[in-house]
Amino acid sequence: MGLIREPKNVDFTVQSEPWTALELRDFRKLMNEIKAKNSKPKLKVLTKKKKVAA
Amino acid sequence: MKKSTRKPLDFIIDKLTNSIENTSTGEIFDTAVVRMTLKNLTEIKKSDWRFEWAKEIKDKTKEVYKLTTINNPTIIQGLVSLEDKQDHIFMHLIESAKFNKNKDKVYLGVPGNLVAYACKVSVDKGYQGFLAFDAKTALIKHYQESLYATHFRGLRMFIETEAALRLISKYFKS
Repeated sequence: MGLIREPKNVDFTVQSEPWTALELRDFRKLMNEIKAKNSKPKLKVLTKKKKVAA
Repeated sequence: MKKSTRKPLDFIIDKLTNSIENTSTGEIFDTAVVRMTLKNLTEIKKSDWRFEWAKEIKDKTKEVYKLTTINNPTIIQGLVSLEDKQDHIFMHLIESAKFNKNKDKVYLGVPGNLVAYACKVSVDKGYQGFLAFDAKTALIKHYQESLYATHFRGLRMFIETEAALRLISKYFKS
């Protein structure tokens, strides 16, 4: 387990403004692309080892 | 965005203990994150906070969580206000307690702890850890480096699945 230590002279404060419909649409498009990638199973590339002739 | 090995989403967090660090002694304290309700309004002294947390708690579209140490559950170390956007979590506000601000802050790790919890809420709701929020210009780089956040545009930022899982695994014992 770790701990994320913010710099002592920096305060992590968030005060978000509502996102516009356009921003949300673009964000959702990107988010859905990432989610779709996440749901794809990883493909393993299988290669046969070549025998080196003695 | 950087590509790295993806972790599965079906891991189990069975112990919701996490921690913060005393800046002067380096001592680590276990913490808990608890939902605030109207019953908890008296715990918030308005003058101690920059944001209007009572308003956030009263807003039914939002969920407010407090971070406390296990040993001292009455002292709030930080607060976060979240909204369920049905496919991601939106972080409206996050604020550390007055004594955890500026260079003389008592504890380190309060905001990171709360952000990790917000990511966990997102994972639990099936949103794959997605968390959206705004950042001050000066903090964008800090959030990218310490919270693995992605800069979307302008002040808009988000945390995606891999970053969320990294944060959760840092803060929550599994």
